[in-house]
Amino acid sequence: MLKTLIDAFALISTWEVIIAMFAASVYGLVIGSLPGLSATMATALLVPVTFYLSPIAAIATIVAASSMAIFSGDIPGALLRIPGTPASAAYADEAYAMTRKGQAELALGAGVWFSAVGGIAGVLSLMILAPPLAEIALSFSTFEYFWLALLGLMCATLVARSSPVKAIAGMFIGLLVSCVGIENPGGIPRFTFGITDLFGGIEPIPALVGVFAVAQVMRAMLTPEPPPLPRRKFGSIMAGQWKLTKLYHWQMTRGNIVGIIIGVLPGAGADMAAWVSYAMSKRFSKEPEKFGTGHVEGLVEAGASNNASIASGWVPSLLFGIPGDTIAAIAIGVLYMKGLNPGPTLFTEKASSMYAIYLMFIIANILMIPLGIAMIRVAAYILLAPRSTVMPIIMLCCAVGSFAIGNNMFGVVTVAAFGVIGYVMEANGYPVAAMVLGIVMGTMVEQAFVTSLIKSDGSVLPFFERPVAAILAAMAIGALLWPVMVWIWRKVKPVQTAAATSR
Amino acid sequence: MRLPDSVTGSFLVALGAAAAYGGWILPPVPGQPVGPNVFPLVIGCGLALCGLAIVFGIGHSFEEEEELIPFEDGQAASPPPQSKLYGLRALLPPALLLFYVLAADRLGFIITAAIMVYVTSTALGAKWKLALPLAALSPFAIHLIFGKLLRVPLPVGLLPTPW
Repeated sequence: MLKTLIDAFALISTWEVIIAMFAASVYGLVIGSLPGLSATMATALLVPVTFYLSPIAAIATIVAASSMAIFSGDIPGALLRIPGTPASAAYADEAYAMTRKGQAELALGAGVWFSAVGGIAGVLSLMILAPPLAEIALSFSTFEYFWLALLGLMCATLVARSSPVKAIAGMFIGLLVSCVGIENPGGIPRFTFGITDLFGGIEPIPALVGVFAVAQVMRAMLTPEPPPLPRRKFGSIMAGQWKLTKLYHWQMTRGNIVGIIIGVLPGAGADMAAWVSYAMSKRFSKEPEKFGTGHVEGLVEAGASNNASIASGWVPSLLFGIPGDTIAAIAIGVLYMKGLNPGPTLFTEKASSMYAIYLMFIIANILMIPLGIAMIRVAAYILLAPRSTVMPIIMLCCAVGSFAIGNNMFGVVTVAAFGVIGYVMEANGYPVAAMVLGIVMGTMVEQAFVTSLIKSDGSVLPFFERPVAAILAAMAIGALLWPVMVWIWRKVKPVQTAAATSR
Repeated sequence: MRLPDSVTGSFLVALGAAAAYGGWILPPVPGQPVGPNVFPLVIGCGLALCGLAIVFGIGHSFEEEEELIPFEDGQAASPPPQSKLYGLRALLPPALLLFYVLAADRLGFIITAAIMVYVTSTALGAKWKLALPLAALSPFAIHLIFGKLLRVPLPVGLLPTPW
């Protein structure tokens, strides 16, 4: 244990890792603070760079950039009422109301402080949850993996703030995309239409870059530019945060726990955590009437929650290769590339690398406090950059980055195609996150499904015979039927209330 | 690009049916009941069912209409001009990426990238005073990071870089 810890320290205390982490932090802060450029997009654009780094440095960049970007989305949310990342959307109104009351320092300070605390709580959950779960996961067979993957996909459709039918359709589209190529049980070209470039399948990373980055540039073409930020002088940012921590320690803990749970659920990420925590904070608050008028309580809880979900989202990713959210989906791609294939054995064979990941998360969250304060102070200048200078550079990065992944031009075509697909899906209410998870998990789902079918000789019964498989199956089927139950309940309820009033 | 649900739903039905059929005609693995055909078949059927449900408006009540945040202080954002061609602007980024694919090998990275930056920047409302220097400088910066530091073999084309 101690030796692994020392090994882990040795792994991360190289110049490469330190520089990579610092640079990625600054990058994450800047991208996250620009409205319309989300944390997922920041991470996706970073992937081509990670190709050329050592495994630990590569993961360091992902960890640092994603944590920083989630916090820094709060900055334009508080100052402009435009959330920088979707994860800040839940409380952007509240933070902006505080700014109008002249409490911008308190709002942003709460963002930094409780994000850092939430992030560290998330890491602790990762450290505590992952090893015992790995023990259990060692006895999993393909049946369990199949149900687990299905459960992950169903969760992704449940939490989408859209029609569940459309979310499931999005998931199927993603799975269909993963069918392309010769990497299937028969080893024959499937859906390749004779195009050689499709034989290797569609790479998840260019697809992700297309869906999150190119689609965003496309949307920018049609939406008006956000208003410039009025310049202001900030007072002390961290003043009063300790008082808030003592006053709202229960809200903070609850936010952390909710964030951790939502992060662990496959498919549900930081934005969902923030929405749920903000709603919970309002529901259980002693003074709910203050919400919406610039009250810091909801900010504390939601800020603590969305950063906690970032770290705990790595739990299912590291254990099963099932991403906790879209950022973790990208991280899984990087892990595979770097020879750290997700799975329970990772915790025994590459224990020092695991500890290095924990340590990097902790360092990133501590680093967030000074860098975050600096970022708040210079945000006014960064937000001056007009969209017409940022978006062209994003476009270049999309082109070069997707080319760099396989050093072939087909990656660029993939990015362009998925930009269009992502744009059209988003515009019509189909959640793209569900499709992304489908693409990332498709091969794994198919493998588990087909292997299980071969083992069971075509019978369905063995899918439910093992106890863990049966529990997971019940959960997955429950998740599938949940929207139906909500729908029935909604149909029945008005009838009941109508009957009650007519009496 | 907001299409009626009946259109997107019907498209999904067609896509699902095509996928299921495409899976169906795949050759099986000899001596094995399940092969590469099962998964596309299942997905195709699922997709077609979802498409049907969407056509009939099932699940529509779960959708939340997008809330537009109104600007305060009365400074309402000017509504974008509503001509048919305006919507096509959204297709500019993917078109430019395809242009990159076709032209980069011949023109080289620097020139192609400069054209991309200039067009995107102008389309987003930049004046030439901003767009021109940006187009002249940013390709070199990107080339320095990706081409020089990360050693991505970017096409040289007509204009070689000084390094």
